[in-house]
Amino acid sequence: MSANLSDPISAPLVKLTAVRKSYFSNRVETPVLHGIDFTMAHGDFVAIMGQSGSGKSTLMNILGCLDTPTSGQHELGGQAVNKLSRAELAGLRNRTLGFVFQSFNLLKRMSVLDNVALPLLYASVPRAEARKRAAVQLAKVGLSAFAQRQPNQLSGGQQQRVAIARALVADPPLILADEPTGNLDTRTSVDILTTLTALNKQRGQSIILVTHEPKIAAYAKRLFRLKDGLVLYDGPAREGLLQLQNESQADSMNDSVATGRGAS
Amino acid sequence: MSFIQVWVEALRAMMANPMRTTLTMLGIVIGIASVVLMIAIGDGIKLFISKQLAVLGSNLVLVQADSRKSAGARLRTGTVQTLTQDDAAAINNLPTVLAAAPVLSTFSQVSFGNDNSNNQVQGTTPATFALRNLRLAKGIGLSDVDIASAARVAVLGKKVAEQLFYKTEPINQRIRIDNQSFQVIGVLDNEGQSVGIGDIGEVIFVPLSTARVTLIRTQTPRSVQYVLAQSKTAESLKEMVADISDLLRDRHRIRADDADDFNVVNFGEFAKAGEAIATGLSIALGFIGAVSLVVGGIGIMNIMLVSVTERTREIGIRMAIGARPSDVLWQFLIEAVSICLVSGVIGIAISAGLAAAVTASGKFDMAIGLKAIVIATVFSCAVGVFFGFYPARRASMLQPVECLRHD
Repeated sequence: MSANLSDPISAPLVKLTAVRKSYFSNRVETPVLHGIDFTMAHGDFVAIMGQSGSGKSTLMNILGCLDTPTSGQHELGGQAVNKLSRAELAGLRNRTLGFVFQSFNLLKRMSVLDNVALPLLYASVPRAEARKRAAVQLAKVGLSAFAQRQPNQLSGGQQQRVAIARALVADPPLILADEPTGNLDTRTSVDILTTLTALNKQRGQSIILVTHEPKIAAYAKRLFRLKDGLVLYDGPAREGLLQLQNESQADSMNDSVATGRGAS
Repeated sequence: MSFIQVWVEALRAMMANPMRTTLTMLGIVIGIASVVLMIAIGDGIKLFISKQLAVLGSNLVLVQADSRKSAGARLRTGTVQTLTQDDAAAINNLPTVLAAAPVLSTFSQVSFGNDNSNNQVQGTTPATFALRNLRLAKGIGLSDVDIASAARVAVLGKKVAEQLFYKTEPINQRIRIDNQSFQVIGVLDNEGQSVGIGDIGEVIFVPLSTARVTLIRTQTPRSVQYVLAQSKTAESLKEMVADISDLLRDRHRIRADDADDFNVVNFGEFAKAGEAIATGLSIALGFIGAVSLVVGGIGIMNIMLVSVTERTREIGIRMAIGARPSDVLWQFLIEAVSICLVSGVIGIAISAGLAAAVTASGKFDMAIGLKAIVIATVFSCAVGVFFGFYPARRASMLQPVECLRHD
């Protein structure tokens, strides 16, 4: 963990207070988030769920310091994010966050090892040292044999494990995984999620996982559900998912009732 | 991110699209090659002129006898031979004059054994050797004693000696000039043109007194065809010309409203004209080079803009994992500069090849000096920075969220 963070243990890892986000096109405001409060302690594993249009991607971008809220407070590791310059934000992302994307987002033309080493290079770690640490991280995800391959020579699951290695290499306090299994088959998905869960359990790695699949969300400790830019549920994953299941059953019953009526 | 790492990535990006990179580089290659050639040609011409000047002798003027015009009637040229060796002696005594040599010249049949040729024979004084920067390959030059005694001695130009003697030792051999016997005492080493002579290799120098007695009959006993004079410094050349003019007008008793009966040819002016031509040519070539560089630079900017658009997602990924805007800026700027630098190196190589080919042909010496290489390198970097900055800055200003959304 970085020494730059003021009091990394006692302060919550992430704190959003009344975060609103609107997009403007032709001066027409389209609100996406209507005041989100979210606090996350170190070592937590949160799944963020919501249908498309619920604002979960926007929330993810804000949590990832890739986007800034229109209003409200965002703190990461006890540091207020709002006032940081673009360069400072880049540094904060580099030290504090590890990204795992749906489409893996490995860089072409670069070996797997160099991809994993890249966050360290941006942290000004010398090249040789960065490659050494990248190799260690690659070994942890079981891909040492593929170090010199190009990313597109790997299977989807392997690429995602490379992405996880890249996210972990600089030892950031928080991993942000945005639909990490969206492009993977079920077996590989289980593999990836097992890896993430193990990280959380064994190392106390804090993870935020964005997904729309309840099965995936079930791996998390805590569920944070969004609907139309508002918090629908924030609590233990098990109860939340149960509630979700009931809702969808109710929905489908309503639907069948509706269609039944329509038919008669 | 370290500088080396940025270079590595720039080269990797260049290799990713070899065809495109090559085509982009072409404009800069041509531009740099023309700039380097321009410098080489300019330097070559200046070197050529200064070499010629060294052979001609520097700071030289040639004072020629002219026709005399009196009360409106121009007298026949050649009949009036007002310029004399005494004028030469007087010119030699002027404070601004370093040395002056009178010259009588003619074309004569020269023979040795069965060989003969027609060559220019110049009767002159020892001062000529210093004035014309003459160097002896063999033997000795003319001396004051030779002049005083009207000795029948001759110093041969390089080509004359080769032609008449081939491999025989020429020194102390007797040759015939217009059927008069002369002893060869020296052979010159010089090549090229010299003032009032043409090819220095094809001339025979004899003492002025001997020439007057044996070869060239002048109407007035002491007249000469021209006098070569050298000023003490390049700066005093103009002053010397004025001094000579005043002196000769005075000695020839020319009235204030009459024209000179001589004219002074200043070879420094020719050299200046030559250098002006060289400079003009350099500027013209430089302009072509500059236009090519600008066109090439626009090509680079265009390709870099395409590259930024194509790699928007890559930029987003890099920013997400911690690339600062300045990292992105440097990445694209270094890439543009790398393209230009590699182009510059190729351009220098091409121009060096062309220059070597021209030099090998023997007509003209062209050398790619350190100056040309430094200028070319600086220019290519400057083009890269100038035309690469806008695309690089644009890349660095991109928002990571939007980049990641980009396909």
